[in-house]
Amino acid sequence: MEFISSIFNYISGLGSYVMIPIMITIVGLVVRLKPIKALKAGITVGIGLIGLDIVLGLIWTNIGPVAELFVEKFNLNLTTIDTGWGAAAGLAFSTTIGSFIIPFIILVNILLLTFKLTRTVNIDIWNYWHYAFSGATVYMLTNNILYGFIAAAAHCTISLRIADMTAPIVQKSLGIPGISIPQGFAVSTVPIYSVLDRVYDTILPWTKDKQDKKIDSSKLSFISVIAEPIFLGLIIGILLGLSVGYAIGNSLQLGMSMAALMYLLPRVTKIIMEGLLPISEQTRTFMQKKYQGAEFYIGLDSAVLLGLPATVSVGLLLIPVSLFLAMIIPMNTTLPLGDLAATAFFISMATPMHKDNFIRTLISGTIMMAVVLLVASFFAPMITIFAQGGGMEIPAGAVQVTALSAGNLIALIIYQLSRLGFIGIALVIALVACILYITRQRKKETV
Amino acid sequence: MKTIIIACGAGVATSTVITSYVTQLLRDNNIEHRIIQCSLNEVRMHIDKGDLLVTSMPLKEKYDIPTVLGISFLTGVEVSKTMEDIVSYLGN
Repeated sequence: MEFISSIFNYISGLGSYVMIPIMITIVGLVVRLKPIKALKAGITVGIGLIGLDIVLGLIWTNIGPVAELFVEKFNLNLTTIDTGWGAAAGLAFSTTIGSFIIPFIILVNILLLTFKLTRTVNIDIWNYWHYAFSGATVYMLTNNILYGFIAAAAHCTISLRIADMTAPIVQKSLGIPGISIPQGFAVSTVPIYSVLDRVYDTILPWTKDKQDKKIDSSKLSFISVIAEPIFLGLIIGILLGLSVGYAIGNSLQLGMSMAALMYLLPRVTKIIMEGLLPISEQTRTFMQKKYQGAEFYIGLDSAVLLGLPATVSVGLLLIPVSLFLAMIIPMNTTLPLGDLAATAFFISMATPMHKDNFIRTLISGTIMMAVVLLVASFFAPMITIFAQGGGMEIPAGAVQVTALSAGNLIALIIYQLSRLGFIGIALVIALVACILYITRQRKKETV
Repeated sequence: MKTIIIACGAGVATSTVITSYVTQLLRDNNIEHRIIQCSLNEVRMHIDKGDLLVTSMPLKEKYDIPTVLGISFLTGVEVSKTMEDIVSYLGN
């Protein structure tokens, strides 16, 4: 045992560039990829992580100084850059918990299916990063790897149960049977949207059962031009530069840095994604053979919901809304950037739960973005440390990184409970047990 | 030469899965092609260049080119039907 742990410590000491390719290769072999394919998957993910590190370098060198000026000039504490969900996913996978997350979550899912505690077969491997993130933050806090894995399992279990409960709404909304959405962020929004929907019934009764199936999103086409990531980056960069008193030349340089960040982050994320692809295909085939039939739901990415008309238009409106909220919410430190290209994801569940009603979705989206900004700001120090894990030297300074998509309430609750150490982890387990018990009845009703 | 636009939420995750399938499919069928992978918001900008649009999600909005729902590449259910559709739209 000591021998194994000393090998493990040696490998993890080499940094995530080396550890992750080795781990992904092993995972590839476990899911029965050919050795050469497994190795290629591992190396590709490693290359993606190196790419991510290089691109994040733009933040430390070019964007950091502006954040400091922002504080000095306006007393606006926007010292954290939102790097977007791709970077957050890469960083979550690059942690110790993240490197084990794929086989671990599959195991948890199989156990829950076996004991009939869920009907969802989560084949959306990519989004396991949300669970890895919950695990990794708890591991960082408690320095206990077991607690980290319990946290990841807790987030996964809650997600699968919420996916089961929302499956009928999702299927009806899309007209596709047999699917559910266990995506780690989307599920965290479900309790809030559910409560808000009841509030709207009382205060906005005229919006009840008023479907807005045909929203003319072409009216919003002026936003959708700016919504192209490179323009968003350029415009925000230039405005930021001018507002802190940079000369025009320097502002243009900052604009270009931010445009580059917006363009390059998804590109490097795609490399990580491509590396994981053969593993995810193999897993899906295996899980689907094992769990066939009408009693199972196929767990998918919340991206499949983003074509709903209210989601498209509210998604666009949330871009200016998020920027505005970031400036006026007192405790917020996050400057929205990377995830401005993905605002629709934050309301993926709102539209089906509010029955395609535009006004309800817009109000819910605005409230959600405020919550997300605060939680993302809270997690910024942890994510910044994850970003340092690759071994890149980050200049000591005021600037931090986060991602709005890491502004996850379930992760926050698990993290806060874990502060209590052993008792906290016991409370996390008790919380999951309670959720499973309470939702047991409701599950029967909807079946 | 056919141009296929493949779109998902952010043009990164699910569209990468679909792209890998479609690329293989078109290679197998000897259809000369190029693929534009993008986010749903960007479809409008590429649509005039495209011969076919494949998306990860059902769309309410209609475009001027044939559109195929690619969700079966994610679920693994009825993949062959989707593949037939794609080939039939592109084949002459």
